[in-house]
Order: sequence, then structure tokens, then C-alpha cells
Amino acid sequence: MATPRNILPADLARLLCAGLTCSVLALGTAYAETAAAPQTEGQKQAAEGAAKLAKGEDDEPHIGTMPKADAHRVYVNDPAHFAAITQQFIIDGASGNVLGMTDGGFLPNPVISNDGTVIAQVSTVFERIARGKRTDYVEVFDTETLLPSADIELPNTPRFLIGTYPQMSTLTPDNKTLLFYQFSPSPAVGLVDLANKKFDRMIDVPDCYEMFPTANDTFYMHCRDGSMAKVEFGGAEPKISHSEVFHGEDDHLINTPAYSMKAKKILWPTYTGKIYPVDLSGDQAKVDKAIEAFTEAERKEGWAPGGWQPIAFHRVKDRIYLLADKREEWTHKDPSRFVFVIDAKTGERVKKIEMGHEIDAINVSQNAEGTLLYGLSTGDRTLYIYDEETGKEVRHVDQLGRGPQVITVSDMES
Amino acid sequence: MISGMKTRSLLAALALATLGATGAFAEDKVTVPSHDAVAAAEAPKDAVVVNIAKMKYETPEIKIKPGQTVVWINQEAMPHNVEFQAGVTGEAALKGPMLKKEQAYSVTFNEAGEFPYHCTPHPFMRGKVIVE
Ligand SMILES: [Cu+2]
Repeated sequence: MATPRNILPADLARLLCAGLTCSVLALGTAYAETAAAPQTEGQKQAAEGAAKLAKGEDDEPHIGTMPKADAHRVYVNDPAHFAAITQQFIIDGASGNVLGMTDGGFLPNPVISNDGTVIAQVSTVFERIARGKRTDYVEVFDTETLLPSADIELPNTPRFLIGTYPQMSTLTPDNKTLLFYQFSPSPAVGLVDLANKKFDRMIDVPDCYEMFPTANDTFYMHCRDGSMAKVEFGGAEPKISHSEVFHGEDDHLINTPAYSMKAKKILWPTYTGKIYPVDLSGDQAKVDKAIEAFTEAERKEGWAPGGWQPIAFHRVKDRIYLLADKREEWTHKDPSRFVFVIDAKTGERVKKIEMGHEIDAINVSQNAEGTLLYGLSTGDRTLYIYDEETGKEVRHVDQLGRGPQVITVSDMES
Repeated sequence: MISGMKTRSLLAALALATLGATGAFAEDKVTVPSHDAVAAAEAPKDAVVVNIAKMKYETPEIKIKPGQTVVWINQEAMPHNVEFQAGVTGEAALKGPMLKKEQAYSVTFNEAGEFPYHCTPHPFMRGKVIVE
């Protein structure tokens, strides 16, 4: 597909920057194309540029800024198939425009606050691209300029270098503390004081993985023995307690569950499509009755979840979205072509959406009206955007790096 | 020649060189007869054995006397090792080689103390040697 910047003469492309989103952002904006809109962003900018040119208005190149985040702001992280350098694309889901980009190092973990006021990442760089001295750090970006507003080094290179699992780095509800996971030499969680821009400390934890914060001094983890651990870190020594074991040894929970911090609820699917609703609103994690996404007949036909980030949860609508397809066992990381929408309260299926593409990751905007369903294809390097109600594809954004895998949204709804 | 070791003083360097010649390497509080995995049959006969199987050190806590040797023997196909974090046996971490099935790795403990360890790729596998 030809992009606007390919079909415009260089001079005109430069002139188009005047008064529009341009400079560092121009490239990104230029490559977003809207499938269904009558006029693409590129065409719109060409028309506006031509009109200004005709009026004799001067071109005034400048560095653009980011608009204020809204419910349709969506972040696409590209781990780039383990490349040493990576990117994140900041996209307006409503228009399909790339608004900005941030650079990252090796397998960074993006962290976006629910109110859209914190864009940060936990990242790793080496002094000679992929070798030499390693530095782990937390970088916070100004949400308007995308300039770094904090750069906090993490001592002793504690990051867990792994394919990007969203819950391996996260924020407390007040956005003042960033948590990141350490795997080796022993399980631990690092605390970074964002308010004072400094590394705080590592907390030793049991053999448990991923963090699900519920309060400014409390988070939960999922443990090897099949229990959840509650970690309260407000005091001098962390207080750790375990829930009952809630799943069997052969019941494999995927690496990328959906977590709503505002609902204090995890939706955790297994390889076969059983979904555990983990309620973190009480004194200890409580696991409600598991939801079966598929009927027994469907399971026999081979229907099972699959992808990188195959589950999403809409808090206000109380709906679960599960990316699935007919598949062989042990193909659970392969893309899928369908999204099963399930009422989280009743466990009933609401509908099945045919995505029309090989999708690896899904998410939903959290607004109650005009909800968008996002489907990211790592292979196509494209974010497909759907109307959640009709299930129709409304637009798409292509050229999103080399192997985009993670979609992050903010939950700004009250 | 000497992997995973840190030279802290001339004396230590000389000690290493001397021991290196005999095939043994001195860490601070321990001596490692071989930094490579050896066949279980070649493990020191008088050592205290810790078998590894089913993702576990079978005797996760053992008590020995100073000068005694512990040998870890992997009994399963899943590779395992023993790793002592920095500051436990010396300034640097002591990261044992990965042991395949029926391979062994030994450490002689020269001083009293507690020596916690874990398996590098399986940090949930943990053990401790208590030297009294
Ligand atoms: Cu092991």
C-alpha cells in the first residue's frame, strides 16, 4: 500500500508540517492510514497543506506535542523478536493515527498508568549494542513532549529478560511506585520510587510470578504451587501470605492474563479455555467458579485460546474477550482468527467475532460507549481496530515495527 | 583458565596458581576440585552425596564438618546445577556447571558457616550446606 509520504513531493511534504503534527511526529503520523474513512490522514494533510500554500502562508516547522490521552489511546509495544533495540507506538485508536513513538532497549516492559499521566518503561541497554556493560533502568516520559522526565538506574541488573509479559512490571494505584520482577538468582520484586525518582529496594518473594497491585503497599503474585501470594510491603519487612491452591499441576495458566486494577480482578485463562476469575478485593485472593469459554463439543473440535496476549477484560461492561481458534495442542502461542466475547458475570457467551486476520494480541478500550476492540497481528505488524458492538473492522494501523506483541490501554472510566 | 573466579590479592592469586597446578581451585571458604561436570563414578568417594531428581535437591539441608566434600549428582534428564550467590563462598558467585544425567559436581567446605544455594535456571530449587 502506498503511504502518503511516498506519493508527495519532498517539498510539499515539508510544507505540510506547518501547523500540523510534524517534525518528530510527522513520520509516525504519515504512516497511519485509515481503511474505512473517506479521506486518509495523509490526504487530509495534503489538502490542508495545499490550501495553506495557495493562501501564501509560511511553513513554520516545529516539534509537535502529544494531545491529552483519552479512552482511545492505545500503546503498541514491539519487542522486535528479541532485538537489542525496540519501539513503542502511541496510537489514537479513534483515528488510527500514530501520535508518537518511544525508543526502548532489550525486551522493555511498558508501564502506562490508568489515568494516562504516566508513560514509563523498564528497559535494558548494553554499552556495545548487545554486549558489554549492561544497564537496567526505568525511564519515565513526559506525556506531552515524550521527553524523558526521569531516568532511574536499577542496581545489579535485576530485570528478568523475557518475552514481554505485561504484569512483569506495573504501577501501584497512586502511580508513585513502579514494581518489576527479578527471576534470577532468586525471585524478587524491585520497588522504584517514581515520586522521588529513585530505586527503592528489592523484596524477596516466594517462588511466585507476575505482580497484580491492589493498593499502594500491596500486590498479589501467582505461585508455582498453584496458590496466589499476597505481598504487603508497607512495613520494614514484607508480609507474605498465601491463598489456597486453586488449580492443578496440569492446569496450565497462560503468561499474559487480563488484570483490571480498578476491579481488582484477574481473568486467567488456561491452555484449554477455562478462565479463572481471581478476585483480589478481599483480604486474600479468592478464586470464583471457573468459566468454560468453550462447550465440550467445541473443545473436541479443537477450539482453544492462542496468541501472545489472548485475553482482555472490559471492566464496565464486565465482558471477557478471548482470542481463540481451532488448533492443535501445544500451538497456544500461535495467532488466532476469532474473539469469543463472554459475559463475566454469567459465563455466557455474548458473541463470537471473526477478526479476518491472524491476531496475536487483543485488548479493548475501557469506555462504555464506542468501545474499540484492538487486534494486533505480529506477522502483519498491524493493529486492526474493530467496533466492539458490531465486531466490524473500522480501521487499521500498519508498519508497527518488526514484531509488535503487546497492547496497553488505560482504564480512565470511573 | 579459571572460570567464575575473582582474584582479590596477590596472595590469593598465588594460591590460585599453586592450586591450579594440582587441578584444584581455591575459593574463599571452599575448594572446588573440578569446575567441570564429571561422571558420577569419578566423584570423590568419601563425599556427602546430594542427589538431584524431580526438580529437587533430595536432601535440601545437610550438615557437615569443615574439610568435608559435598557432591551433587543429577539423576534425571533435566539439567541442574548448584549456584552460590555472591558473598556466600567468596566475593564472587560460585556458579557450578550444568549437570546432565549422572554427572556430578563437588565442593569442599573449608570453614564453618551456612552456605545456601540454588539451581540457576530453576531458582525455586534451593538447598543449604551447614558446616559446623
Ligand atoms: Cu534445576
